[in-house]
Amino acid sequence: MIDRQQFLVRAQLEIETLDVWIKEEWLVPREDATGQEFSDVDIARAHLIKDLKHDLGVNDEGIGVILNLIDQVHGLRRTLRDLLHTVRNNTDS
Amino acid sequence: MDKNPYEILGVQRSDSAEDIQKAYRRLAKKLHPDLNPGNRESEEQFKQVASAYDLLSDPEKRARFDRGEIDASGAERPQHEFYRDYAGAGPGYHPYTTDSGYADIMDSDEILSNLFRGARTRGRGDGRNVQYKLTVEFLSAVNGATSRVILPDGSALDVVVPAGTRDGQILRLRGKGEPGIGGGEPGDALVEIEVKPHRFFVRDGDDIHLDLPISLTEAVLGAEVRVPTTTGAVIVKVPKGVNTGRVLRLKGKGVVRPDGSQGDQNISLKVVLPEKIDPDLEAFAMNWTAGKAENPRSGMEG
Repeated sequence: MIDRQQFLVRAQLEIETLDVWIKEEWLVPREDATGQEFSDVDIARAHLIKDLKHDLGVNDEGIGVILNLIDQVHGLRRTLRDLLHTVRNNTDS
Repeated sequence: MDKNPYEILGVQRSDSAEDIQKAYRRLAKKLHPDLNPGNRESEEQFKQVASAYDLLSDPEKRARFDRGEIDASGAERPQHEFYRDYAGAGPGYHPYTTDSGYADIMDSDEILSNLFRGARTRGRGDGRNVQYKLTVEFLSAVNGATSRVILPDGSALDVVVPAGTRDGQILRLRGKGEPGIGGGEPGDALVEIEVKPHRFFVRDGDDIHLDLPISLTEAVLGAEVRVPTTTGAVIVKVPKGVNTGRVLRLKGKGVVRPDGSQGDQNISLKVVLPEKIDPDLEAFAMNWTAGKAENPRSGMEG
């Protein structure tokens, strides 16, 4: 697990930016008694947000919408993969 | 990279920095791998476009390239990891992945929603799912019933066991698990159903199988006999001259499927001699010449 300080370094983020992103729920770190914990998924997600914002010129309202749709696509992809897996297993037996 | 960065972005050497940025953004919106999670080729194309833009968006590099001092390969981007490689990868917990793109479809089908409960969480503080076991009678599972589970805290939970429930099936009771924390949703109760075996019905998929004993007389002469089904007895015509192993099918007397259609009940006939062979039968067999000559094992030789 990655703590807040390491996360800022690895994601190349300013602390103020991180706080805004967490407030917007673009990033949702795990919270526990010792503070916030991040993972590799969060780092990759932070890079994606930076790509959207800086490279693609998406404004802040647009980023929330895009992230939500991307999360849905990944939910669908996961379920589709599980479904295919299940169907394949049932066909084999 | 061999291609000219101007060609890759589809711009002219004379175009302004804004034109180049516009061209890049148009391509990147189409090709960014995280906007194309299922398209492997987009990553390669996006890298080319991004490298070309790296070079042309930096006035100094662009000028050096234009003068022929550096070639396009000088602008390779460092290895970039994409969100899609984490978001959907492998089993386990994916904090951002959500089912809100398809939850309605799953909810309409109990079997599907049970299969994919693993993929269906989002956010923190949601209560945990709690698992229970519930044993139900064979006929309750086939025909549907309501059963009561007593929870560890003493409260009772009425579980609707839908008609057609299978042994080992898990019923999900939404919101009946542990409560959520900090505004999180409560978890679900997952009730695993154990179906007791029946004295004479056996379930085979959506069909019900039944071994039905018939007497020698019924087998030889044919008869109308009462046959139990999961929904009560029916009268079935046993044709003349049937043998052990002959299967009669009662269409639609099997288990209800999720789509409302029904399986069949298959009756496997079993010719049974009387417990005690009486003198009449014995005398008949003694004098039955054709019966003595017949060898039912003739196919087993060699």
